[in-house]
Amino acid sequence: MLGQLITSGIAIGATYALMALAMVIIYKTSEVLNFAQGDMAMLSAFVAYMCLSTYGLGFAMSFTLALAFAFALGAFLEFAFLRRAKEPNVLGLIIITLGLEMMLYGLASWRWGSDQKDFPFPVSDFDVYQLGGDVVISQLNLVTLGVACALMILLFVFFRYTKVGVAMKATQQNQQAARLMGIRVGRIMMLTWGMSSVVGACAAFLIASTDTLDPNLMWTPQLKGFSAAVLGGMTSLVGAVLGGFILGVVENLFGGYVSVEFKAVVAFAVIVLILCVKPSGLFAKHYVRKV
Amino acid sequence: MDMKRDYYEDIRLLDSGPQVFWLAVLLAALAAFPLVADSYQIYTVNLIAIHVIVALGLNLLVGYTGQISLGHAGFFAIGAYATLALMLNAHLPFIVALPLAGFISAAFGFLLGLPALRLEGPYLAIATLGFGLTITQILGRLDVFGGHMGLQAPPLELFGLKVTSDAGRYAVIMPICVIMTWGLRNLTKTRVGRAFVAVRDSDIAAECIGVNLTYYKTLAFAVSAFFTGIGGGLMAFVLGFISPHTFNVMVSIMFLAMVVVGGLGSILGSVMGAVLITWLQLELARIGELPLVGPVLTELSNQVFTLSGLPNVQYVVFGLIMVLIIIFEPLGLYGFWIRTKIYWRTWPF
Amino acid sequence: MKKILWLMVLVFSLALAGASGAAEVQGVTDTTIKIGQWGPQTGPAALWGAVARGTGVYFDLINSEGGINGRKIKYFLRDDGYNPNRTKAIAKELYEQEKIWGFACGVGTSPGMAVMPYIIKNNIPWVGMATGSPHWAYPPKKSIFAVYPLYPDEAQILTAYALDTLGKKKIAFFYQNDDYGKGGLAGAVRELKKRGMTLAADVPVEVGETDLASHVLKMKKAGADCVIMWVYPKHAAIVLGTSAKLGYKPQWMACSTLSDVALMFKITKGLWNGMIFGNFAELPDSKAPLMVKYRNAQKKFAPKERWGVFFYAGFGFVEPMVEGIKRAGKDLSVDNFVKAMQSLKNFQGIMGPITYGPERRQGLKKVFLAKCVPATAEVNGKKITYGKGQRLSDWMGVE
Repeated sequence: MLGQLITSGIAIGATYALMALAMVIIYKTSEVLNFAQGDMAMLSAFVAYMCLSTYGLGFAMSFTLALAFAFALGAFLEFAFLRRAKEPNVLGLIIITLGLEMMLYGLASWRWGSDQKDFPFPVSDFDVYQLGGDVVISQLNLVTLGVACALMILLFVFFRYTKVGVAMKATQQNQQAARLMGIRVGRIMMLTWGMSSVVGACAAFLIASTDTLDPNLMWTPQLKGFSAAVLGGMTSLVGAVLGGFILGVVENLFGGYVSVEFKAVVAFAVIVLILCVKPSGLFAKHYVRKV
Repeated sequence: MDMKRDYYEDIRLLDSGPQVFWLAVLLAALAAFPLVADSYQIYTVNLIAIHVIVALGLNLLVGYTGQISLGHAGFFAIGAYATLALMLNAHLPFIVALPLAGFISAAFGFLLGLPALRLEGPYLAIATLGFGLTITQILGRLDVFGGHMGLQAPPLELFGLKVTSDAGRYAVIMPICVIMTWGLRNLTKTRVGRAFVAVRDSDIAAECIGVNLTYYKTLAFAVSAFFTGIGGGLMAFVLGFISPHTFNVMVSIMFLAMVVVGGLGSILGSVMGAVLITWLQLELARIGELPLVGPVLTELSNQVFTLSGLPNVQYVVFGLIMVLIIIFEPLGLYGFWIRTKIYWRTWPF
Repeated sequence: MKKILWLMVLVFSLALAGASGAAEVQGVTDTTIKIGQWGPQTGPAALWGAVARGTGVYFDLINSEGGINGRKIKYFLRDDGYNPNRTKAIAKELYEQEKIWGFACGVGTSPGMAVMPYIIKNNIPWVGMATGSPHWAYPPKKSIFAVYPLYPDEAQILTAYALDTLGKKKIAFFYQNDDYGKGGLAGAVRELKKRGMTLAADVPVEVGETDLASHVLKMKKAGADCVIMWVYPKHAAIVLGTSAKLGYKPQWMACSTLSDVALMFKITKGLWNGMIFGNFAELPDSKAPLMVKYRNAQKKFAPKERWGVFFYAGFGFVEPMVEGIKRAGKDLSVDNFVKAMQSLKNFQGIMGPITYGPERRQGLKKVFLAKCVPATAEVNGKKITYGKGQRLSDWMGVE
């Protein structure tokens, strides 16, 4: 049972990791906690569903269209709402993302109703591989793991070695200075939001295929992703992914051996304990503002 | 006219003659309200008054002291459950149970303040969020508190009088709301209030000039939790029934929205935010029945959306209002108020 | 002189009767009755909101047939988003400002509990709340009539069926950690206790949870050969998927809230096959005349609605209310209505037999069991497999 709990924990942790990655991308560039992340992803999943079920398109086509939609949605929200904020403070920006979350939720529920839908996916969750003993892992879990790790490496390389990635980091550290250095801060922000939305959409497709598709799909994964990101350090991509795995495994072990009832909240207790020792998460450098 | 010439002018509760006058008018209007309003309106105002108390407490923490909390539904729940448990199990009268529940809530606030000494921003947000979730989880587990079945509020009795109507509850809630608003204004004018603001502006600088961070940060959490706890205790009676479900994450988020939409670091702002958000929550549900908008929305639902999903328009409108207010005025409704005031004062220039 | 005196008395008493007969009852005129309902049309619980819309279509049907005793029903539906604050505001608004006569159905235990004291205090008729919680009918309240069979009773019936008919030895219970799930749990424990047995495992799930691997492993480790579920459709889908993955294949059983067999079959990607579940109303494809009539009403008045169990439950939950109004006749005072309701004995519409009495407020005490079997149909030239219910038993109750 121990082996299976850890395997399942890593499998579910991969979905948390994807959401955490999405949140970290935005936080890294703009220090905004994006509460609309989950519902942006949910809306993209609905677009994929619509392409698949209503218009009968193939998987490749549908997912490409939906990811393109996700990118456009992220870029649009940044351009149309966040950039318009006058002299924004951090809390104000959080409230704007909350407002966006409600709007997206409302639109999705208005368009598709509240009935659960089945989200078709090319990879099965029922075809499993034996990992020795009676420990199994499904194809879908492997895909999720693969996507999470691949995206992490891609993003890591992107932020470290490409010009745009470095510009994004510069924007976070000092917007004013970045602008003076010739960085188009607005454009960078839009790009960030678009990228983050795409990563979130990937998470939503994978989650919807084991869960059922409805407007409430991404609320819990978003909270979990947020927790994972905080655990990893909010600005660290590797931290976000490892945070997701740690969260998944801790939850499953606690659920398996101690109490399933408190499984959902134990993560928070662990996080608070860890944060008391390392106030900026496991993998981020703690830096103190100057007076 | 806004110039302060000495210290005593700065710490005075009321600035000017007209302010005293308008305050008197407001109090008179509040006193007369139950005489002219019907029971539904009084119920709405009761809810608003409770949310004002909570928003004030949360604003003290968020707006004045600069700490974030996504877990105030937890304190709200503690206040509500503690009040009922003290009345049902310990047989204390309401007038004793309510402040006691407030203090229990404050004690939890103190505890939550401890990690806040080291955490900030998203890290603190997660810690408080976890607190809110854990509290409802534990309450649902404890049979003393009715478990997941919830608790029915006992009849409210005050000085031997049975309070059964909404007007009666209004007579209990509104004075408490007024007193607490007054108390908070008082607090922000004292050394403690200024220390909170210093912590918000820069905690390190504050420490350098002699503000004890440990003391003031935990105190801010405790006072904020006290306000929220009192709000929760009153809520138990307005609703008549509480269950862990009543205090979900969404409630915490709505509290935060009240504070930010109303205006950070402002008492008037908290009041305006609480009024607007509560009112929107109750009234937007009927947006489909508005005379001109309704048919348009229905037609739109038939063509593009679904008819059964039509009520979700309220979320779209609600979100849009929140977003627009913050986009156009970072100080929220309070900012609009200030600008209007300045506009008229300097008119025609 | 005497004649004039008699005439005066007659006129006077007629005037009195006129005054007291028509004007006294709120929300009722000679041509209309105002009835209200709250139900979550938005938010996480919105999938149960179909009940409230179903009731609306049922009233449309009744109105198109001329109403009840010549009175048309004016129906008010309000969305409360499953938020008790709002439910209470809605109840007040409907009763005090729209001046309705009574409430129909209403989804959710917490919202209902927030409203109940108000309804008792004002003596408002309220029939058919869409939840099987025992709070409504025990102890009995004068103007409140419950329909939905109690969760504990239903769980008891399912447990007994698993032990006696299916010959299962170890039963596990998988439930939502709240009033709803614990109600079911209590019933299963009661039945097992009667036989000196205990549950092999009782595994709660929180509403927000999406990862159920440790839950499934718990039941697997306990070696349960039958699992009864008392959860949301979402969790039912996830738990079946996770179990299939982990190679755990017990006999699954489900509560009547999961009896929307076509939907469940679809969202579980066929894993619902073989599920045994409780039912409080006829199966969706039933050929009973009333069901056919209601389905036609749905096609006529709300063609875009899905013919799901909770949608037509919105018809069924108010059937006894409509019957009560019919039997009460012209005088719709609450006392008269309550008397009429109490005269319902084994009244049957699309649900089981409903009986009320002076001390009995729980109308339906029986459920029947059905099993999910696959069926095929041709839609737009494509062959698709869907799930349908096969009746296993007659209406059964608990002694």
